[in-house]
Amino acid sequence: MAEKKGQKRRTQAGTSEAPLDLTKERETFVRTFLRKGVEFAEELLQENKHLRAELSRLQTENARLRTQVASDDAIRELLRTIEGLERERNDLIERSSELERVWRRYEGRYTDLENELNDLANLYVASFQLHATLSLRRVVRHIKELLLQLVGAEAFVIYVLDSDGKIAVPLGSEGIAEADVRPVAVGEGVIGEACFTGIAQVSHTAPLARGTLAAPLAVIPMMVDGRPVGAISVVSLLQQKNEWASVDRELFKLLGAHGATALIAANLYASAPGPVPALSGIRDNLVS
Amino acid sequence: MAEYSCLVVEDSPMMRQLLVFALARIKKLNVTEADDGVDGLRKLASGKYDLIITDINMPIMDGLKLVKRIRSDAVHKDVPIIIITTEGSAEDRQRAMALGANAYITKPIQAPQVIAKVKELLKIE
Repeated sequence: MAEKKGQKRRTQAGTSEAPLDLTKERETFVRTFLRKGVEFAEELLQENKHLRAELSRLQTENARLRTQVASDDAIRELLRTIEGLERERNDLIERSSELERVWRRYEGRYTDLENELNDLANLYVASFQLHATLSLRRVVRHIKELLLQLVGAEAFVIYVLDSDGKIAVPLGSEGIAEADVRPVAVGEGVIGEACFTGIAQVSHTAPLARGTLAAPLAVIPMMVDGRPVGAISVVSLLQQKNEWASVDRELFKLLGAHGATALIAANLYASAPGPVPALSGIRDNLVS
Repeated sequence: MAEYSCLVVEDSPMMRQLLVFALARIKKLNVTEADDGVDGLRKLASGKYDLIITDINMPIMDGLKLVKRIRSDAVHKDVPIIIITTEGSAEDRQRAMALGANAYITKPIQAPQVIAKVKELLKIE
């Protein structure tokens, strides 16, 4: 078959009128053309291969970028979530601070209420015990207990005015030798002055030092119908107490207002044969 | 619900009433009162208590003698004891604690302080 092709080419060359060099040139051209075609094809194949590689690379890159974009979206979403959580956290912190402020306010109020309740209980018990008996001895004992246990007075004297109202006579005392406790002339000294004016004298130096009989820490006049009928002199406080408590002022007011009435009632009752006779003539006295 | 019983030994009716008032604010706490140390011993002999509160200066038998007796009593030897007294010196406090008292509170009392101590000793929330 190759032989036939060779014969055919020779026949065509033999019958052609074109010069030999042209034939040669044509062959050269054809060969060149074919070679270039082959080269071109090879180049195309190479290019195709290269493009395929590039396509593959780009596809990989694209996939990577897609993943990255997805990942970025996830990160953005995560950041948004974090921001939201941060806001929520700040809100919670603010709310917690607010609650803490409220709690502190209520805690302070609760402490105040506790103290007020404590003071009221003291006053209630003092008043209750003071008027719970008509025994003169017990009334004096209760006044003493009130001063010792509730006020925390270590040394004190209870004075009452004599019948003409010129001398304050000691009715009872605590923490002071009896021999040292003497009657006081009304109008003289701190005690006599309180018995005259009806005005309480309370030292407010801090810390409160121990007073003396002549210069006590507090003198509380005992009043009936606006008139002083005696006084309580607080000379010193228990060693663990060096300042007045808020309730002490109220206890002094209670003693000033109720101490004398309790003493007078008990003193009048002392001469009565019993509770029922002590009520005799009560209706007449109420009308008059 | 568990209940606790407390014996208050105090000769002053005023102080006793004040303590009962304060202790009434603790739920589940039943309070029994005694006038002095001897009355306190009598009450202890006829009952079981989870806490004892006692004054020191009392007629017939003072609080320190009572503490001593309680610590040698088979039933109540481990019961917590709170001393509430006018005696505020360090020596008095040491003497009471050495005899076996668990707490020492000086008068005049503040109810919240007493309540807190009772709750602490009875382990009440």
